[in-house]
Amino acid sequence: MILELQDINKSFGRKQVLNGLSFQAESGNAFGLLGRNGAGKTTSIRILMNVFPADSGQVLIDGRPIDYKKTQIGYLPEERGLYPKKLIIDQLVYFAELKGIGHKDAVKSVDYWLERLGMSEYRNKRLDTLSKGNQQKIQLITALAHNPDIIILDEPFSGLDPVNAMLLKDVVKEQIAQNKIVLFSSHQMNYIEEFCSNIAILNSGRAVLHGNLHDIKRNYVRDRLIVRTEYPEKIIADFGENCTRGENCTLFIQLTAPEEKKSIMKQLAAAYDIDELSVFEPSLNDIFVEYTHDTADKEDRS
Amino acid sequence: MTQFRKILKFELKYYFKNKIFVGITLFLVLAIAAVMFFPRAAGIFRDSRKSDTASELSVMLVKADSPEQTPLIEDAFKEAFPEYHVQITSKDASSIRKSITSGKAECAFIINEITSYTYYVDNLSMYDQNTAIADGVLQNIYRINAMVSSGIPVEQAGSIMSVQIENHVESLGKDQMQNYWYTYIMIFALYMVILLYGQMVASNVASEKSSRAMELLITSAKPAAMMFGKVIASCLAGLIQLIAVFGSAILFYSLNKEYWGGNPIAASIFDMPPGLLVYMLIFFVLGFFIYAFLYGAIGSTASKLEDINTSVMPVTLLFVISFVVVMYSFASGDVDNLLMKICSYVPFTSSMAMFTRIAMSTVPWYAAAASIAILIGSAAGIGVLSAKIYRVGVLLYGTTPKFRSIIKAVWKA
Repeated sequence: MILELQDINKSFGRKQVLNGLSFQAESGNAFGLLGRNGAGKTTSIRILMNVFPADSGQVLIDGRPIDYKKTQIGYLPEERGLYPKKLIIDQLVYFAELKGIGHKDAVKSVDYWLERLGMSEYRNKRLDTLSKGNQQKIQLITALAHNPDIIILDEPFSGLDPVNAMLLKDVVKEQIAQNKIVLFSSHQMNYIEEFCSNIAILNSGRAVLHGNLHDIKRNYVRDRLIVRTEYPEKIIADFGENCTRGENCTLFIQLTAPEEKKSIMKQLAAAYDIDELSVFEPSLNDIFVEYTHDTADKEDRS
Repeated sequence: MTQFRKILKFELKYYFKNKIFVGITLFLVLAIAAVMFFPRAAGIFRDSRKSDTASELSVMLVKADSPEQTPLIEDAFKEAFPEYHVQITSKDASSIRKSITSGKAECAFIINEITSYTYYVDNLSMYDQNTAIADGVLQNIYRINAMVSSGIPVEQAGSIMSVQIENHVESLGKDQMQNYWYTYIMIFALYMVILLYGQMVASNVASEKSSRAMELLITSAKPAAMMFGKVIASCLAGLIQLIAVFGSAILFYSLNKEYWGGNPIAASIFDMPPGLLVYMLIFFVLGFFIYAFLYGAIGSTASKLEDINTSVMPVTLLFVISFVVVMYSFASGDVDNLLMKICSYVPFTSSMAMFTRIAMSTVPWYAAAASIAILIGSAAGIGVLSAKIYRVGVLLYGTTPKFRSIIKAVWKA
């Protein structure tokens, strides 16, 4: 299954929030939706979930306009919140039923997820008696209990301790293995890098960069080398201003052209005592900063 | 439709699990039971102490300055004040005062001459009618004396004074005296329930928004299903409470009817025609919808629960004004004045105004039908509009948006 947002435009009043946004996500893969605050992530998720219509453009599943009766979507909003004064089982079953599944199936599924996330003991408790992290796990069940085809997780890891984060990672991996489309929106780039094969970076309401994360990294100009060595002085002396120090005994060597890579690497390996040598690939964080650096600030000011 | 049913069920469950809702309903039912069983209980109480009731009458002292009038005054006062033990006294004013302040007597009349007296009482009650009764008694004595002195025999003078006028009243429309009490209670119930449950809808929506449960709700269900589910659930809850209260009142009254026997107010209240109950039901449901939809829409635009009270003020004020107009006309007895006629067709006021007119006066069927039709149309229209406001409103956080910007956003949606 392929989910596609095609040339989506949306404005609120005079403010154009989405500006011809397009991206594609496929089942069996996690997709990272990145962007600074106010870039249009939540608006695009809401359009995808049919909370309000786009001014123009369409949401397609396998090339056809999405049918919300057939395609189930699970959503973990960034703004967490359920009914604090109500019993956990009651509200989880209610939300599952709202998504169209029968009462018995809803109870069964909710019980499965409570067990899976280690929350069964809280089944008949009020939500506000739980800690913040546990409330978050309960909220995650609302996104999963109705067995959706598309799962949208907005900042899923924020507020979780390392053990719970591990549990969530396992759950996400299971969902991906079950051939679901998992859409991640997060500012925690390490998680995106860990899960997402495809990403889109939003800036000013359009995808300024999208595609396979590995390809994106590979397509960067490969004109920088990383060298790890215990004896950096000699290399610094030989390469002059093309060589800069990094952290933890690393050096960056800037090539004048990518074609030099092979020969310089040979030369380094032969002439110096080095522990590690590789071509520098930017991290997702570097890419993100590069693509979103200026405009969002300007938008906020305007 | 399934979504609407689920929401309705969930919301209704909220009311039945709400301790305050259940508590108030039980309290009202118990209070009504206490009132309805009171005459029976009091009867039993009275029966057991019947033997000493005669001595329980309060004492009224009467002093007449002219000895020849004393027997006449004594007889007349004993007849006019059967609830008092009337005692003729010859003590002076200060000892009469003492007996009142010490509690030996409740009140006293010192009659200087037939046309002038002083009334003594410890605390003068708001409802003390004794002087009015005494005025009448003394006037009668004065007139009889005057007639006797001008030659008319005493018996003839007595029969002239006690002549009875027979009258028959045939009300061709409604008897307002008869309808007053139950209409009063019904209007009050209508007012209380609409106001209470309407505001509950508003705070329910606002609390979902402030707890951010809305983020999930709005992506799980259609706004119209949400709005109608909530409003209809609270309407049903209100209706169930009304039925519990009115139903238990009727039940307990019928159980104790013989003990209430002569009480005209109780008889008038429970003599409400079933047709009027049907009208009450119609006007309650429609009036409730209009206000609850408005309250729901306003609740959706408030960001914090604390803002709710100020946000709903205009709607509450509108409702209170219509209540005041209706109550004023109702109390003045002229329920068919021009203002009431206009209010009977304005959807925000017609639920109470038209209901009052139907109960207290004669309204042609087509006028009632027109008012109901306008109400149905407006309730549907306001329902759809408020669902739209709700969809826009619930996603707006921060400061409460301006009315104009909401309308603009709704127009676009």
